[in-house]
Amino acid sequence: MEEIKLIVDGKRLDGRGFEELRPIKIEAGVLKRADGSCYLEMGKNKVVAAVYGPREVHPKHLEEPDRAIVRYRYSMAPFSVEERKRPGPDRRSIEISKVSREALEPVIMKELFPRSAIDIFVEVLQADAGSRTACLNAASVALVDAGIPMKGIVTSVAVAKVDGVLVLDPMKEEDNYGEADIPFAFLIRNGKIESITLLQMDGRVTAEELRKALELAKKGAMEIYKLQREAIMKKYVKEEEVME
Amino acid sequence: MISRKIVLPGDLVSTNPKTAGPGTYVEGNKVYARVLGLLDKTDTGVRIIPLKGRYIPSVGDTVIGIVREVTANGWIVDINSPYIAFLPVLENPAMKPNRKPNDVLDIGDAIIAKVMNIDPKMKVTLTMKDKLCRPIRVGRIVAINPTRVPRVIGKKGSMIKLLKSELDVQIIVGQNGLIWLNGDRRKVSIAEEAIYIIEQEAHTEGLTDRITEFVKKRKVEMGLEKPEEKEVSEDQG
Amino acid sequence: MPEDILMEIKKDYVLSKIRDGERIDGRKFDEIRPIEIQTGLIAKAEGSALVKLGNTMVVAGVKMQPGEPFPDTPDQGIIITNAELVPLASPTFEPGPPDENAIELARVVDRGIRHSEAVDLKELCIEEGEKVWVIFIDIWALDDDGNLMDASALAAIAALMNTTVPAERFEVGEDFPLAVKDLPVAITSLVFEDKILVDPCLDELSIGKNTITITTDQNDNIVSIQKSGPFLLKEEVFDRLIDLSIEKAKEVRRILKNINS
Repeated sequence: MEEIKLIVDGKRLDGRGFEELRPIKIEAGVLKRADGSCYLEMGKNKVVAAVYGPREVHPKHLEEPDRAIVRYRYSMAPFSVEERKRPGPDRRSIEISKVSREALEPVIMKELFPRSAIDIFVEVLQADAGSRTACLNAASVALVDAGIPMKGIVTSVAVAKVDGVLVLDPMKEEDNYGEADIPFAFLIRNGKIESITLLQMDGRVTAEELRKALELAKKGAMEIYKLQREAIMKKYVKEEEVME
Repeated sequence: MISRKIVLPGDLVSTNPKTAGPGTYVEGNKVYARVLGLLDKTDTGVRIIPLKGRYIPSVGDTVIGIVREVTANGWIVDINSPYIAFLPVLENPAMKPNRKPNDVLDIGDAIIAKVMNIDPKMKVTLTMKDKLCRPIRVGRIVAINPTRVPRVIGKKGSMIKLLKSELDVQIIVGQNGLIWLNGDRRKVSIAEEAIYIIEQEAHTEGLTDRITEFVKKRKVEMGLEKPEEKEVSEDQG
Repeated sequence: MPEDILMEIKKDYVLSKIRDGERIDGRKFDEIRPIEIQTGLIAKAEGSALVKLGNTMVVAGVKMQPGEPFPDTPDQGIIITNAELVPLASPTFEPGPPDENAIELARVVDRGIRHSEAVDLKELCIEEGEKVWVIFIDIWALDDDGNLMDASALAAIAALMNTTVPAERFEVGEDFPLAVKDLPVAITSLVFEDKILVDPCLDELSIGKNTITITTDQNDNIVSIQKSGPFLLKEEVFDRLIDLSIEKAKEVRRILKNINS
């Protein structure tokens, strides 16, 4: 395999600096039937998230007597990738669904809704690197839009190591040929990063690089958090009341 | 002037835990919003008025529901909530010793009931032992987002009173976002249209006046009323 | 998966011990259970290993056969890792296709082997673009007393170390031992508030299956991380986990190095 240079003249292949995010577009409340929804673009990712609930649990035996169950389904449309993907969950999607659900669960106040279900569905319409982070960002906005009680907002971004340097929010080539990919998600409360809710790593980094990656991810997450807020405010700002 | 600004989950709304009200949570002596909503803050309390969300039953609520199942002991009622409700036979005054439950209320029947009890597992029990409660045999049910119910009711019921008096229709508002309207068919339609406007625009100033105007205009358009005499002559504008 | 009532009952005991700075089996917070590794026990497999981590028991078997390479890596062999949480291993495991826990287990083990480059995939090329060796690593849980993850990762690498490439059977040359170039070690820790319990046993997991698995290679690089479980991880705890996992992996790697001697 030929060597692919991912950093040329101190710039990334798409012209970004190391600490720069891809363009992001977020729109809240795009689906009529869902209780909450969000459309999000992050680089070439195009994803839609929907939240239903709290609602009755089907099948019944999954009910929890003292809290809501949270379900998260990450799904890729067959046309979202170069080579048609067979519909339905594969092993990768099942793992992503699990860690994403676990990233949101500790933030959702499940105990307020015993015996109910909060369902989060995310469809990847066009896939790029970091689709799990794009989906989590969309899901988080959809949860707010659905009026689900939460401790704060979840924001997700990945850091990659390419050609020996750490870069924020890797795109396709960096993901494919880079040395490491580290997706993070954080609980952000009142504009401050409180804790890590998703953490995976794939590749090879030193302990020091890992610590630096965390700092870089936090920086990126704060920028995305602002955009998530703006998207929600844009939909609801007309509701702000001014009273005499 | 008071403004009610929008807050998101996790926004700090107070540093006095004693003031924490509905829609907030306390952690480390700080009060945060837990839902998307309008911040309603006074010296004594802080609460978040939710802008979205499902109806979660609360004891004493008036609700409108539809019978989904009939059992020997009562009726299983869908109240547009994550929790299905149960109306025991003993809580329905229409139940007489010689009648079977499905003679009194059958699948698909709509009722107005009150939430009598909720156990910790959110098993909801209804009662119809209240003068407001009844089976719905006539009129129309309209649905709005449950979080908008207080807006439709208005301050001290002002909005409902307005509609009732202007249109001479019966209105019962379920806390679960279902509203029963009964009366002249065309007047009910006007009331329904007005309710949708209130649902959408309650945050705007002068809504009561606009609804009054709207109702008058629609009555004229539907031929229910003659146009009012103009109070101001046109050349003055 | 139905909850195991015995686990539910243990919860209070585990919590009260943790408050006293103790673990229920008397281990230190950073102490790994005794490890036993037995290799080559399945003669029919190209490589195999049985790992006991305390009472947790896992067997991994390696099977190999020639197959077509992936189009984007025509000169490289292929590793396919699969894990089965068979019902024999726990009252809470059910028959059927791998669930999300089994899939996660297999994928985390796979990432450790892949990114540490324990197996040089280029050495597994038989004919570029046509034929390469496919390595199937199958992880079979036999007894789940907690932390199947580390036991499985250990069984997988031990089985690879024990593997002979069956070239003669497929008439592509002489049999040769599979070269294992690195020894990835997974260290899973249970996170409870700001406490870290390395290598949690099943009873300890009754307080919440909130774990972090950090896999490191023999040069102390981190090659895989997986946060598993619905919990909030504090940065400060994560920071401590990094160094702790590197240190603990060194201990385990020493045991791994000694199995063939």
